[in-house]
Amino acid sequence: MRDRTTAARLDRATCAALVTAVLMPVALGLIFFYVPNDADQGFSQRIFYFHVPIAMTTYALFAWGALNAARYLWTGDLSLDLRSYVPMHLGVIFGTLTLVTGSFWAKVSWGTWWYWGSTELNTFLIIFLFYCAYFMLRFSVDPGEKRARYSAVYALLGVGLIPISVLAVHLGQDVIHPITFTDHGAQMDGSMLFTFLMALAAMLSLAVAMYLVELRGKRLDEQVTRLRRLAEGTR
Amino acid sequence: MRRFGERAALAGVDLHVGEGEFVLVTGPNGAGKTTLLRVLATVLRPSEGAVSVGGHELPRAADKARPRIGYVAHGPLTYPGLTARENLELYAALYGVSGDLVAPALDRVGLDDRGRDPVSEFSRGMSQRLALARACLHGPSLLLLDEPTAGLDADGRDLLREVLAEPGRTVIVSTHEPAWFEGLATSEVPIRAGRVAA
Amino acid sequence: MNRRAFVALVRKDLVLELRGSEVVLAMVTFVVASFVLFRFGLGGGRTAGGTRAATGLLWVAIVFTAMLALARTFAREREHAIWDGLLAAPIDRALIWLARSCSTFVFLVAVQVVALPAFWLFFLQDGPAPAYGVLVAAALLADVGIAALGSLVAGLASAGRAREVLLPVLYLPFAIPLVLGAVSATTGTIPPQTSGLHTLERLGYLALYDTVFVLFGWGLFEFVVED
Repeated sequence: MRDRTTAARLDRATCAALVTAVLMPVALGLIFFYVPNDADQGFSQRIFYFHVPIAMTTYALFAWGALNAARYLWTGDLSLDLRSYVPMHLGVIFGTLTLVTGSFWAKVSWGTWWYWGSTELNTFLIIFLFYCAYFMLRFSVDPGEKRARYSAVYALLGVGLIPISVLAVHLGQDVIHPITFTDHGAQMDGSMLFTFLMALAAMLSLAVAMYLVELRGKRLDEQVTRLRRLAEGTR
Repeated sequence: MRRFGERAALAGVDLHVGEGEFVLVTGPNGAGKTTLLRVLATVLRPSEGAVSVGGHELPRAADKARPRIGYVAHGPLTYPGLTARENLELYAALYGVSGDLVAPALDRVGLDDRGRDPVSEFSRGMSQRLALARACLHGPSLLLLDEPTAGLDADGRDLLREVLAEPGRTVIVSTHEPAWFEGLATSEVPIRAGRVAA
Repeated sequence: MNRRAFVALVRKDLVLELRGSEVVLAMVTFVVASFVLFRFGLGGGRTAGGTRAATGLLWVAIVFTAMLALARTFAREREHAIWDGLLAAPIDRALIWLARSCSTFVFLVAVQVVALPAFWLFFLQDGPAPAYGVLVAAALLADVGIAALGSLVAGLASAGRAREVLLPVLYLPFAIPLVLGAVSATTGTIPPQTSGLHTLERLGYLALYDTVFVLFGWGLFEFVVED
């Protein structure tokens, strides 16, 4: 039975990796060759097609991690702890990328390497700090049920932090940020929208693949540790 | 079954204690005696397995079980900055019993003249007595004591014996001195490395 | 809610603090010293940036001072191993959180009773001042938020190693939106003023912040408090 589920998981991770291997070059191709130059900002505006999908993927990872955290607190099923931690971990990676691409975008759009007038950038900064704090918490408690519980509680607090931060940054400063999606739909024309969606799909697929691979890796780690302990116990 | 981190402190303790019994839990240090008592006191959640106190299943019905349990731990569980009286009044409020029970409780353990002294000034023996008063304040039907004889002087031990001999309670005591409980205890459960040693 | 138990727990905190002040006096000293540091750091004579900058710094000082209170939040229960006594008692675990939040709130207010006049003395005498009513209202609202969330986070931080370092790291991301809201509310009242609606919106935001994290605290504390 265990072999079958491990094999099934292997399959999912491999599948996701394959999908990513297809989507990513397509998206890159679209970004660099298909989409026309932006009227105002020229070639370097293409950073948008990286920055926003990566940012949205980060939020998606965070949502997934928080959801599993809530499920863990509800059910006490320890396997959910890993499924909460891994997305948060990936979120830090994608979050760092978001900040880096965001910095480039600020340079392109406003001429400075960071722009304090941007709601999105500043909210993200707060969330990123929260992620780092999550890791500090995780490292400071010994592995086990308590660490899982505390991580889950903190992850859920982060859920409260996001809307609170968005509102605070919005109220706290004038918002000068190019709004690309309006109420009537994206302000981008057809080809731009298509490219954007492909880029988003590629990023999400990458995130899913990394999630499945890392999850598998960590589970194997746990199994090895458990077996080693059993072996030591019987010696 | 109770895991701390990756270490199972208790595994496979199968224990049935009937009403009115007086059970001694013995075993070397680190065997898991304190963990067992803490689980029974509803302070620790069992990681696996079923625990039931007074017909109430833990952890789900823990709050129904708590009013009936009195717990004397390793430490006195009292605030050093408060007086003995204030500590008991706090616990009276927490357990929902009248504050009038405080004075008689202090009297029972021979601390009536030290009621207004801060606990930080108490000797170990006096702290233990206060702990006993605290645990019995709300008239529990189950008493859990973790090595209650440690640090008690001769008078204290006599007092402990008196209190433990009071009828109408189930008592579980973890101890290094099972012989001292001769005449009180109805059975003994040795624990070794987290399991009941046969 | 078990009112008697709640009152007993709050009274216990207040009595203990009155008797052997661990927190309030230290916080008062800290916050006044911070003001001096800020004053000198910003340039002795006329504060660079004027009262606007100073008001912003006030909130920074308030948050950092609050850290001192939060760091000691469950220290007594931890140091004297009293947790088991509270956990074995037939009270809602969230009640412990609520009582602790209330006593922390009282400590924060007590410190601000000294800190706000000191702030006025150091910074607000030369230059246009923010509306004092708004300042006090914002301070009270901020205190609720800090006390509520801080008590929960203090519980989280006390579990692990390096807890003195961990608490600020865990708490400060949540302090950022709070400070933003409070700064916006108070500096908006410094002439040239923004509208009353602007201020009300931000005070309302602080109230929203409080509501959100009070709910979180109430709901999540029981997961934090067990061993």
